[in-house]
Parts: sequence; structure tokens; C-alpha cells
Amino acid sequence: MITYAKFGMKAFTNQLSYRAEVWLRLLGNLIAILIQTEIWRAVLGSGRMDGISLEQMITYSILNTLLLTLLLHHISGQVDASLKSGSIAGELIRPLSYPLYLLSNGLGQAAYQLVFTVVPSLLIAVLWFGFLPPASGLHLLVFLFCLLLAVLLSFMLGYLVSLLAFWLMNHFSLSWIMSGLRLVFAGSFIPLWFFPDGWRTLAEWLPFQYLGFIPAAVYLGEITPAQMPGMLGIGLGWAVALIVLTSWLWHRAIRRLVVQGG
Amino acid sequence: MAIIEVDGITKIYRQYKRFPGLAGAVRSLFTRQYTEETAVHNIRFSIEEGEAVGYLGPNGAGKSTMIKMMTGILVPTEGALRVMGNVPHLSRKTNARQLGVVFGQRSQLWWDLPVLDSFDLHRSIYKLGERQYRDNVELCTELLGLADFLDKPVRQLSLGQRMRVEIAMSLLHEPRVLFLDEPTIGLDIVAKDHIREFLRTVNREKKVTIILTTHDMKDIEAICPRILVVNKGNLVYDGTVASLRQTLGNEQQVTIDFRHDPGEVDVEGLTLIEDEGVRKTFLTSRGGTAVFELISRMAQRYPVEDVSLEGADIDSVIRRLYQQLAEEDKRKTQIS
Repeated sequence: MITYAKFGMKAFTNQLSYRAEVWLRLLGNLIAILIQTEIWRAVLGSGRMDGISLEQMITYSILNTLLLTLLLHHISGQVDASLKSGSIAGELIRPLSYPLYLLSNGLGQAAYQLVFTVVPSLLIAVLWFGFLPPASGLHLLVFLFCLLLAVLLSFMLGYLVSLLAFWLMNHFSLSWIMSGLRLVFAGSFIPLWFFPDGWRTLAEWLPFQYLGFIPAAVYLGEITPAQMPGMLGIGLGWAVALIVLTSWLWHRAIRRLVVQGG
Repeated sequence: MAIIEVDGITKIYRQYKRFPGLAGAVRSLFTRQYTEETAVHNIRFSIEEGEAVGYLGPNGAGKSTMIKMMTGILVPTEGALRVMGNVPHLSRKTNARQLGVVFGQRSQLWWDLPVLDSFDLHRSIYKLGERQYRDNVELCTELLGLADFLDKPVRQLSLGQRMRVEIAMSLLHEPRVLFLDEPTIGLDIVAKDHIREFLRTVNREKKVTIILTTHDMKDIEAICPRILVVNKGNLVYDGTVASLRQTLGNEQQVTIDFRHDPGEVDVEGLTLIEDEGVRKTFLTSRGGTAVFELISRMAQRYPVEDVSLEGADIDSVIRRLYQQLAEEDKRKTQIS
């Protein structure tokens, strides 16, 4: 376990060498938040829509923009690159679990994003745009748990794509589809509240809502304590299902592994 | 018991057919036609603990494929393979603890980290004790001369420095078997010597079994008493360099550049094997001064610009073997 913690630390410190990116991400986040708040200001004015106020929508937008940053990882690209260059061979001849190695890398990257992008962006956004406090202590607690779940699910989805790349020998189109699905069905820009019924039902059947909509809705108190066990249960169910699916795929992938080149 | 046993191993790659052009690309999407390519064909050998073996062959002979199968990252299509008593791909992680692998063309180091941090990660992966780790780092640092760049990030190292670090790292966990896939590729002569010297020490003194692929015959001369030669997936030679030289005969190649094409040349003791007009290559079985006599006799009759002799050093022995193999292949295809 210490080994994997070290890998996480390494991924964290590795990112430190790209300092210019910190500023750019910060700027990018603030612009994204600005655009969204202006849109919602135009749409909602001072009124409400489906019981949601402008202040709530601003907080929702800030949370979701920061979630996108937090969940940013390069798992698919990383696996794809090492598959194409053949360096996956080097990863496999170590007495290591490659999936856990990837996960610890992903967690290290997420921790880095949290400290250097998410927290500073949040501080600035709070001062500049205004930010509602969590609905209650319980909601905050469940929100934090949802964040962990989101990091895990986001990693698993990226990992799923990278495993499929073993068969397709390219991850790009799949990653593209995945990011599209995610953008819409996570509710990152338009919350599921405003979806037409059919689309909303569909979104609720997919895991993507846990990557954006659910954490923010929990924070804002739009999910009642009575709904929480069910919601968390389904989220954990998705995590377990993805873990089972990916570990099965991983064994299949290893079996048919043909290291390219050489 | 042999530490590596390879018994009738075959590896067939399946490659899906691609059709040329844009229409072909579309067609490739819907077809599942494939061709099969045999990279390794029915190979059989065994290696004892403590041996140092050179695994040779022209490009595309299936060397890397064999190494990948022995390290367990590729599954053979047919045959039985045992490394340290285990089937490699089934006990990949168990075997990995006792294997060291160096790919000359692929780094296993962490690009952004200082060398010592890479070592430290390696230590965690292989769960090395404090004492064992420190002793081995010290030993490698001394023998490979790593002291000057231990705290530099890997990306700032020269190729020669990086290879030394790669090799040091592959030995930190005291593996029983060390696989090296072209470890000296692209290095300067000093760096090559350094690495050869070190590998020889590791093999002789620590009794680490070494399997080495290379295109540089000096590596073989310095490290490996025994060679395995493969060609197009088949094992064509297993033995020492000296006895290979004997089987191929002590013939020398003489290449002569004439000032102008002399046409048919007939000198006793020289057999024409290649004729490019002004440049002709002959084979002779006469050694020593007899060759010079032949050449001077030739020079008396025709104006000669340049002469080169190719003797029985390891490079030319292997080259001759490869040429012979290529000719055999050509004959076979002509027959069929």
C-alpha cells in the first residue's frame, strides 16, 4: 500500500513542474464561471425556475466548473500512449498491479488539482460571484462523500475507455464520446432539474450524474436526507459494477495483449 | 534443473488485413480477414543458472517476442515454457520479483524524478530491506560510476548515463535472471565498455543468469560464451562462437575494386561469389600470407584500386551466417 501512496505522491509532485498551467487553469475556471453566471442571470433574472433561484444556480455553476477540474485526469491518454509506444511492457514486468498503479496516479493528480486549482478558484469565486453555504452539516458531509465517489467513478470511466483501447488500439473516439456523454448527462452546464422528463429519466439511469449534478444538488440541499441512502446506494452500486466490469476486461485485455512494435 | 526451459515454443501473431486507399480504409472497417505471421517457430533450448547467453538474429527474427514470452508479458501460441520453474505468463508477478529486464530502446525510469527517487520507488515496488537496498545502490554506484548524477532528474541524463541507471535499477532487487534487449544501442564506445565490464562482473561474481540480445558482436565477445541464433523465427544455431566459426569454415572474403571492369577473372584459389563489374567479391579458404600472394598475382594482371579482407572475427562470422541464411531462404522460395 505504501508503494501506491508513493506513486500518488509522485504524480502530485510531478505536476508541480508545470506551474504555468496553474495560472491558466485558474483563469480558465473563472472565465467559465463568469460565462455561466451571466447566462443564468439572463435566463432567471430575479425570479425562480422550477423552484431554483439565481443564487443557487451560481453556486451550482461554480461547484460544477470546479468538479470538472477536479475530475480531470489523463488515464485513457496515459494507457493509450504506453500501449502505442510499447512501454506497457515495462509496466507489466514489475511486480505491481497496473490498475492500482493507474488509480494511485489518478488520485495524486486529483489531489494536485484540489490544492492548486480547485481551492484557489473557489476562494476567488466566493469573493467575486457569491457562494451559498451548504444546506446543512449533514449535506456537507454527504457532499464530501459524493466528491470521493465522483473521483472514483470518473477514474473508472476513464479506465474503462482505456481498456477498450486494447481492442480498438485507439482511445480517441471513445474518449470523445465519453466526454460528450459526460458533459450532457452529468448536468455540468444544465442541471437535471431543467431536463425534459424523458431526458431526465435517461440521465438518472446513467452514472454520469454522480460526476456533477448529484454532488452539487446535495450541497444545495435539493436532495432530502430521506433520498440520500437510495442515491448513495445507486452511486456505490455503479462504482462496484464498474470495478467488476473493468477487472474482467483487464484480465481479458492481458490475455490478448499484443505489445505493439518490437 | 535449468533456470529457463523453452520447449517447442511458437508464437503466431494475427494481423487484421488492411486495404490500401480510402475505399480500402472503409473496407477494413467491415472485414475481419486476417493474416497470420509466425514470429517464433518451434524453438527449443534450455539455459542453466549462471549462464550468459547471447540471443542473436537479424532484425525481425523474433528476438524481442521471445524475450517478452520469457518475461511473461506475451503468451506463446504453442509449446511449453518454464522460467524458474514457473509458466511465465501465469506467474508474471511472482517471477517479476526475481527478474531484471532492460529494454535499450524503452526507459523504465520515471522521467521527471531524480535518479535516487526512481531507485526509492523501485525499492518500494520490490519491498527491499533497508540494508539490502543501500548495499546494492552503493555497489552499482561504484561499479557503474553513477555518483555524479544520482540527484539529477532522469530527463537531464545523457543516453549513456541513462542506460547505466537502467541497468543499475534492474539489478537492485538482486534478480536471478537478467534480460537485456539491446542494452548498448546508440552508446559511445566508452559507455559500451563500461556496461560490458559491469555485466560481466555481475554474471561471473553474482552468478546472475544473463540473456542478451544485441546487434553489437563486441557485447557478445565480452559477455556471452554461448550464443543462440534465430532467423525468421527458427533457432538456427546453439553453441559457442568458436564452434560456429568452425562450422562456417575459416574462409575469408576478399573484395577487390578494379580500375575498370576486367570481365572474367580466373585466379586459382579464389571463388567469385559476387560480381558488380568493377567490384568483385571472392571467397578463399587459404589463410595468412597465401591470401596476399593471391592478391598480388591478381594485381599484376589487372589494375587494382582497393582491396579489403574480411577475416574470421565475430562480426564477419555472424555476417556470413546471416548471408548464408538469406541465400537459403532465397533458394527455398525459388523452389516453391
